[in-house]
Amino acid sequence: MGSSIPPLRASAVGIPQAAAALRNLERRQEIMANNLANVSTTGFKGEMPFARLLDAQGLAVVDAQTDRRQGALQRTENTLDVALGTDGFFVVDTPAGEQLTRGGAWRRSQEGLLVDSLGAPVLGEDDTRGGTRGPITIPQNTSVLRIEQDGAVVADGKQVGRLRVEDVPANIRLVHAGDGRFVAPAERQARMVASRAVQQGALEDSNVTPVTSLVSMIEIQRAYSSAQKALTTIDGALGIVTGDLARPV
Amino acid sequence: MNPALRTAATGMLAQQTRTEVIANNLANVNTTGFKRSRAHFVDLLYQTVQGVANVANADADSTPAVQIGRGTRLAAVTRLHANGPLEATNRPLDLAIEGEGFIQVQLENGNTAYTRDGSLQISDQGVLVTSGGLTVVPGVRIPDDATTVTISRAGIVTAARTGESVAMEVGRLEVARFANPSGLESLGENLYIATPASGEPAVGFPGEEGFGRLLQGHLESSNVEIVQEMVDMIAAMRAYEINSKTIQNVEQMSDVASSLLR
Repeated sequence: MGSSIPPLRASAVGIPQAAAALRNLERRQEIMANNLANVSTTGFKGEMPFARLLDAQGLAVVDAQTDRRQGALQRTENTLDVALGTDGFFVVDTPAGEQLTRGGAWRRSQEGLLVDSLGAPVLGEDDTRGGTRGPITIPQNTSVLRIEQDGAVVADGKQVGRLRVEDVPANIRLVHAGDGRFVAPAERQARMVASRAVQQGALEDSNVTPVTSLVSMIEIQRAYSSAQKALTTIDGALGIVTGDLARPV
Repeated sequence: MNPALRTAATGMLAQQTRTEVIANNLANVNTTGFKRSRAHFVDLLYQTVQGVANVANADADSTPAVQIGRGTRLAAVTRLHANGPLEATNRPLDLAIEGEGFIQVQLENGNTAYTRDGSLQISDQGVLVTSGGLTVVPGVRIPDDATTVTISRAGIVTAARTGESVAMEVGRLEVARFANPSGLESLGENLYIATPASGEPAVGFPGEEGFGRLLQGHLESSNVEIVQEMVDMIAAMRAYEINSKTIQNVEQMSDVASSLLR
């Protein structure tokens, strides 16, 4: 006589789902921890986690999108502190290829190039008034260096280059490269010269709002506890099944 | 161990460094010619925790990889060379530079250093030296019998001598400026030296285009603004606190997780 009762499997009663919820919440918390660790990182863009649709096993997947909102601009009046007042990115040359950055505390390298705070050359673009596509050289005896709104780098009244400013379309996911930079996607395009707002003597603060992140962290913790309760309850029910029902009469 | 713990720890360390920089700024709130510093941070490398995944429903495409950051680190501490307020002292040998530029001095090893601290003195050799005893470049010798020393805005040093009705020009001071003063290396004692990052100095007479004028009888105060530093300190403190909350939170979650096992 064949049994019509299906075999009792943990997956049938929600244990994997509850475990996946716990895993996802841990991941969310890691994202929040990173946001909060970077509340004072120049030009930092926070990550906003959200749950995706289900994967092949029917479990939720955590995903995160970069929050592109502008951080507050702080005036420093330092010659080589550069920020962007609009969307877009500067382009720097790194060993891993071209990467995007929102600016920062730049400096002049030993070789006379304009480099970011970690030494990656900032790249320029072709310009008829002066400048080529490549690193920008600041002449040795420059005494007045100006960076204009449109990105023109002017040393003692003579234009030596124009900063490349590029946009990444909103539907393209930004990929972090660390060190305050993003991987440059193929879809990026030069930003119109007239709509650039390059700010000399300013730095962009991190766009993380601590209060929001803190609230999310509390929510994550509460949800984590709930998922744990769910798992314990299911486990308890299974315990009844295996412990009590299976007892020989 | 939950990586969020380490992430939060990098955040706390960063805020600690920031507080150290602020503490030094505040300690130098009365240091002549002092320039405040600021710590800069960058995010650490990101870890791909979940590769490109396919979603169950056929019409949706795959989800992009999920990257999780692992915290922050110090990138640089830069000095902000904004001018400090000028303070009248009425001491004839106190000099302030109104505008950009540095007074050049000669170090013991013969190299040139740069300073904004113009509290000068006359050495036993009769030359102008800084309060630390370093000779001002170009050297200016003040006659032994000089009664009053006048330094013009353009840097011309004249000395009136006893028994002479007309003051005599005894030298002319120069100032040096840099394309990127933040790249200067601090030696302490209000002295800086040129580095490849700062560029080579451009030397000129005070008041020429791009160079500041000299103001006799004045000193430049520290450019530290107490209120600004306090605000930064509160921000650093709060950020420190909030990162410690992350650690607390992670710990509580670990508690919850470990209670799964009966």
